[in-house]
Amino acid sequence: MSRDNVVETINLVKSYGKHIALDSINLKIKPGATGLLGPNGAGKSTLFKTILGLISTTSGDGIVLNHNIREEGAIIRSKIGYMPEYDCLNPDLEAIHQVAYSGELLGMNPSIAMQRAHEVLEYVGLKDQRYRTLDTFSTGMKQSAKLACGLIHDPELLIADEPTNGLDAAHRDFMLNTLNQIVNHGGRSLIMASHLMNDVERVCERIVMLHKGKLIAQGKIEDLKAIEREVEVHAWGGASKLEERLNDGGLKVRRTGRVLRVVHVDDSTYDQIISAAAKSGCQIRRMQDHEASLEDLFIRIMETLGYGVKSSEQLLENNPNLKHVDAPLELKNRGPLQ
Amino acid sequence: MSEETIDAEFLGKEGANVTGFSRMEAAYGSGDGDEDATAAVASSSNAEVGTIFEQIYRPWNGTLNTRWVRNWSILRHHIYGMFSRGHRPWGWPVRISLLVLLLGSMNDLFLSFLGNATGVEELSRLFSPSRENLYAHVLGFFPRNVFCFPIAAALLVGGMISEDRKNGTSAIYFSRPVNRTDYTVMKFISVAILLSILIVGTLALYYIGDLVLSGEGWAYVLDTFPLFFAAAVAGFFLVFTYSSIGLALSSVSRGKFFPAIALLGIILGTKFIAFLISQLYNDSIVYLLSPYDCIAHLGQEMMGINSTYDHPYTWSLVAIIVMNSISLYVLTARVSSMEVTRE
Repeated sequence: MSRDNVVETINLVKSYGKHIALDSINLKIKPGATGLLGPNGAGKSTLFKTILGLISTTSGDGIVLNHNIREEGAIIRSKIGYMPEYDCLNPDLEAIHQVAYSGELLGMNPSIAMQRAHEVLEYVGLKDQRYRTLDTFSTGMKQSAKLACGLIHDPELLIADEPTNGLDAAHRDFMLNTLNQIVNHGGRSLIMASHLMNDVERVCERIVMLHKGKLIAQGKIEDLKAIEREVEVHAWGGASKLEERLNDGGLKVRRTGRVLRVVHVDDSTYDQIISAAAKSGCQIRRMQDHEASLEDLFIRIMETLGYGVKSSEQLLENNPNLKHVDAPLELKNRGPLQ
Repeated sequence: MSEETIDAEFLGKEGANVTGFSRMEAAYGSGDGDEDATAAVASSSNAEVGTIFEQIYRPWNGTLNTRWVRNWSILRHHIYGMFSRGHRPWGWPVRISLLVLLLGSMNDLFLSFLGNATGVEELSRLFSPSRENLYAHVLGFFPRNVFCFPIAAALLVGGMISEDRKNGTSAIYFSRPVNRTDYTVMKFISVAILLSILIVGTLALYYIGDLVLSGEGWAYVLDTFPLFFAAAVAGFFLVFTYSSIGLALSSVSRGKFFPAIALLGIILGTKFIAFLISQLYNDSIVYLLSPYDCIAHLGQEMMGINSTYDHPYTWSLVAIIVMNSISLYVLTARVSSMEVTRE
C-alpha cells in the first residue's frame, strides 16, 4: 500500500449477513479534499465507520493515515476529526463546554481543551456565541459547532458528513469557505460526503463515487470529466432550420426545443453559429459557453450504469424508484453491476 | 491530456474517464410568454461596518493523553456536573431533589445528634448505630427504600444513556478513541458514585458522626465496625443493582421519563406484588422477583438479623446475580447498537 494516500483499501468487503454493504472496494484517497458521492444505501456510512475503525471488515484490508483499520481503530480516531450529519450536541450544554469536552474525550488536558475550544469556535465564527447553550443555536450555528468539535485537536483528516445540510445560503457559503480554508491554508485533508454537487465541486478536487456498495468512480473531477465543451444557443424562430444548417456545416448539435448545444471546435465555432443563424433567418437570443459540471458528470455516470435520472437530487435525496433504461451495449457486456 | 497524468478510475478501469455529452437542460419552454419577462434583481446591502472577522486556521501540536485520561474525563463530566457548570448539565429539579433526598436519608444522624445534644439517654440509645439501625439505614424499606434510594436512582439513571441516544451525542464519544466498554463502565461508575454518596456515604456519616458525638472508645468501634462494614457491603449491592437495572432501562430508551418510571416500577412494583402474594399464600418465594427484597435478604444474613423471608438466602443471592446479569447484558447489547453515523 502507498504511504502517499490518506485512505487506501484493498478488496475491502463488509457484509451484514447476506447483504453486502461494501463490495471489494479498492479506494485510494490522496491528501486534499475528496468528495464522497452516492445515493442512499450506497455504503457511505459503512465506509465512514470502516475508516474510523468502528466496525470489523468481512475481508480485505485498509490503511488510514498509515494505520491499519483492523487493529488501530483508536489511533485512527484520535487523528481524525469527524463531523456527523445528524445532531450530536448536548442541547443543554454551552458551546464552549461541548467543544472542550469533545477535546477531553480525545485525551486533551482539560485546560488545553478549553483554550483550544476558544480558538476553534472563533475560527468557525462562533466567538460571540460560545457561551450560549446549544439549544439556542440555529442549524447553521450547530453545524459550525459540530465542525469545531471535529477540529479541536487539529486532525490530519477531517470527515464531514453532509456539512451544508439544512443551511441557508450565507451559512452554506461560510461553511464551504471554511472547509476550503482548512484544506488549502491548514494543509489538512478532507473527505466530504454531500448530496449537493455544487458544494462538492466547490471544495473538492477529487471524488469517490459509490453505488450499491461498489466503487463506481474515483479520481480528479477534472480528469474524470472528458465531456466536450459546448456552446449553448437560445434560438427564436427557426431553431430546427438552424440545427440543420449547423449540421450541414459539420458541427455536432443537440437540440431541445429552442435550446441548442453545439460542440465547441475552435473560436470559429461562434462565427459559424452566427453565420448559420443569419442564413436560416433565426434569431439568437443568447449564446454562451457551457462547461460540464460535476452534476453533468454524475448524471452521465448514472446513465452509463443504466439509470434514467434527471438530476443528482432525484437520485441522492429521494432515492426514488428509478426508471431503468438500457445501458450502452459495451457496458451491458460487462455483466450485472449489482 | 496524456494517459500517464490522468488521475481517474471509472468502473474499475484505471485511466478511464466519463466521456460523452452532458445532459441538456431546456432553459425555456416554448411560447410561455417569458420573452417579455423582466427580472427584479435584489441589490446587496454592503454591510461592511462592524466586526472584522479574520479567519485563520491555527494548528495545534500538542499530544493526546492515554485511555485513562479519556475515561477520567467522562467520569468527571458526569460527577462534576452535579456541582458545577461546564460539565453534564443536570437540571435544577434533579439537583434540588437529590439534596432533599440526601438530607432525608441522614435523618437518623440528626436524631442521634438530638439525643446526644439533649442528653436524653433513651433517645440516644434509640438512634445510635446498632445492628438494626445500621441495617435500617441501608435496607430499611420505610422510609429510605420507598422515598429516597429508588427515587434518587431513578433521577440519576433517567437520561444517562437515553439522552446520548436522543441527542446523538453518542457520536461524539464513539468517533473519538473511546470504546464502548469504557463508555459503559464510566457511565456506570458515575451513577454508582453518586448513588454511593447517598447510600453508603450517609451511612458512614451516620456511623462516624455518632461516634464523634457520643465520644465512644475503641472497644465500641471494634464491636460495631463489622456491622458497619456489613451494612456498607449491603449498600454497595444496592448501588450496583439499582445502577445496572437503571442503566439497562436507560439504554433501551430515548428519554428520561421511561427509564425513571420503569425503575421505580420494577423496584416498588415487584415489592408490592410480592407482598400481596405472600399475604395470600403465606409464602415468601415471590420476593425473589423483587431486587430490593433479594438484597434485603442478603443484608439480613450478613448482619445477623433475624430473616423475614422463608426461603434460603442463597436463592436471593442467585436471583440478584441473575437480575444483574440480565441488566448488564441488555446494557452492553444496547450500547453496542449505538450509532456514530446516524442515531
